[in-house]
Amino acid sequence: MAENRETIYICRCEEVTREEIEQAIRDGATTIAGVKKRTHAGMGLCQGRTCRKLIANMLACSRDPANILPSTFRPPVRTVRIDEIAQGDEE
Amino acid sequence: MKMTQVAVIGAGPAGLAAAIEVARAGGLVTVIDENARPGGQLFKQIHKFFGSREHRAGVRGFHIGEQLLAETERLGVEVLLDSPVYALFPDRTVGYVHGGREIFLKAEKIVIAAGAAENPLAFPGSTLPGVMGAGAAQTMINVHRVLPGKKVLMIGSGNVGLIVAYQLMQAGADVAALIEAATQIGGYGVHAAKIRRAGVPIHLSHTVKRALGKDHVESVEIVALDSHWQPVAGSEKILGVDTVCVAVGLTPLTELAWLMGCEFAFVPGLGGHVPKHDLNMETTVPGVFIAGDISGVEEASTAMEEGRLAGTACAEALGLLDGQKALELKTVIRERMNALRTGPFGEGRRRAKECLIGLSLEGQA
Amino acid sequence: MKSGIKYTGIPSEEELRASPGAPSRERLEQGPVAFIECVQDIPCNPCEEACPFGAITVGEPITNLPELHGDKCTGCGVCIAQCPGLAIFKVHLHYTETTSLVEFPYEYYPLPRKGDRVPCGDRQGKYVADGRVVSVKNAKAHDGTAVVGVEVPKACYLEVRTICRKEWSRHG
Repeated sequence: MAENRETIYICRCEEVTREEIEQAIRDGATTIAGVKKRTHAGMGLCQGRTCRKLIANMLACSRDPANILPSTFRPPVRTVRIDEIAQGDEE
Repeated sequence: MKMTQVAVIGAGPAGLAAAIEVARAGGLVTVIDENARPGGQLFKQIHKFFGSREHRAGVRGFHIGEQLLAETERLGVEVLLDSPVYALFPDRTVGYVHGGREIFLKAEKIVIAAGAAENPLAFPGSTLPGVMGAGAAQTMINVHRVLPGKKVLMIGSGNVGLIVAYQLMQAGADVAALIEAATQIGGYGVHAAKIRRAGVPIHLSHTVKRALGKDHVESVEIVALDSHWQPVAGSEKILGVDTVCVAVGLTPLTELAWLMGCEFAFVPGLGGHVPKHDLNMETTVPGVFIAGDISGVEEASTAMEEGRLAGTACAEALGLLDGQKALELKTVIRERMNALRTGPFGEGRRRAKECLIGLSLEGQA
Repeated sequence: MKSGIKYTGIPSEEELRASPGAPSRERLEQGPVAFIECVQDIPCNPCEEACPFGAITVGEPITNLPELHGDKCTGCGVCIAQCPGLAIFKVHLHYTETTSLVEFPYEYYPLPRKGDRVPCGDRQGKYVADGRVVSVKNAKAHDGTAVVGVEVPKACYLEVRTICRKEWSRHG
């Protein structure tokens, strides 16, 4: 999409804009996971730590925020290198 | 695999306080933290805390951090640093990484005291260098002694925004203004009074429209909001600043509690989805406790009391304290905690907490 | 614009008048006295313990506003640096025939020195008058909160609450 002074980035890791998220919601996304699958928002290095809340706020315009759950967490929930956890516990 | 009686995740005020109570009761406790230094956010709190003597009121946050560390050392608490916890398994095994490899720690009880993260704000230009969380700016000035910029716009009038604005000036920066979208100041009046005395204007019903600049923030455009939170055309103002600090609340860091399968409740007054917990800070998963901001965003003083409560409850559950002794200790802690949750600022949090505890007790009945 | 601490960050005249921590006009006439500008029910009470004369009481619950007992206050100013909210001042209305003394907490570098002429500001940092620094107390027990005393024209004893730092550094 064309970058201009008005562009708002929601997911900065994957460079997903506010417009793209709005489009995903118009396309039927009703959950954070739904937005993620359509746009890659939350799939970057920080794993959604920054954009999760922003996307939840956008979804909350049309849904009860109590029902907007984060997408499923699986290990690793922290940024770790794959070789660190591939080696295994040697103790 | 390493073994311990109690694994505490997070070496901030809540985690250290929990560990201290377990160790004091004679338990084996291991604290794990991803940072290079223990203390969580305490070491960047250079202001004096509120409360009463029992809450160490009048003492600067970093001194409270030093006292907590001295206590953990005296009690021989094991604190593992540079060790991010990336997984928790149902058998209460903690997976963390240290020195480039993964290590598993099996615990009888787990206390998750992971804290909270700053809420972001997205606006045109919010990805420009110079836009940062107020907490990040506070870390820069008070821990690393680096000024993030010369002239700052602070967004948000909660205690974080007010305190960091003040501390930025103490560090030598100029604060051009503080803006707040709501119609009144969110934090303590005395914190607001400090920055007003320093000549900082507070603009209520204002938000940021965009940050401008080529490679970094050079100016920022703010705009007034009407009673429907809509921008008032023509009210835009440009402020020449090189730094924009965002202080628009915190969200509990709950990933590990989700991994353990804890039940959650949605309590807006506590920062959103938080794990349900009982009066002992135990979640709906037996043996898994929480303390501090993860159980609802409050302040360091209440985090420490929640930590003490969780630690005492762990010690009791492990048979290190008899029921009578544990009850006495917990009663004193709860009284101190309730004292902090009074008044116009604390009432709301107390009610939100009661609602959360009520919800989790309902589930058990 | 609405007045009051919640809207401006500055306690309004009404709030100060209704506050049990502000000394009466009669008490101000009698000599130096603490001036507590704490107008919100926050859980905090170090001021109560700070006063060696029992002139400040908070009691239970600790969200009570601090009450100043003018008859017991000696105007020593010990409480100023003990308030975590930096909300306690000291006012000596009749310091001389023509001047008053105002003491306030100050946590910025550089600290002024005794004898300095400094631009003094009000609760919104606005310049009120020039003042002469008569004391800078920074004992260990203050833990970094210096207490600065300035002699200012008598007319502005209720207004002056700080040094205008920016003007001072420009002209200082």
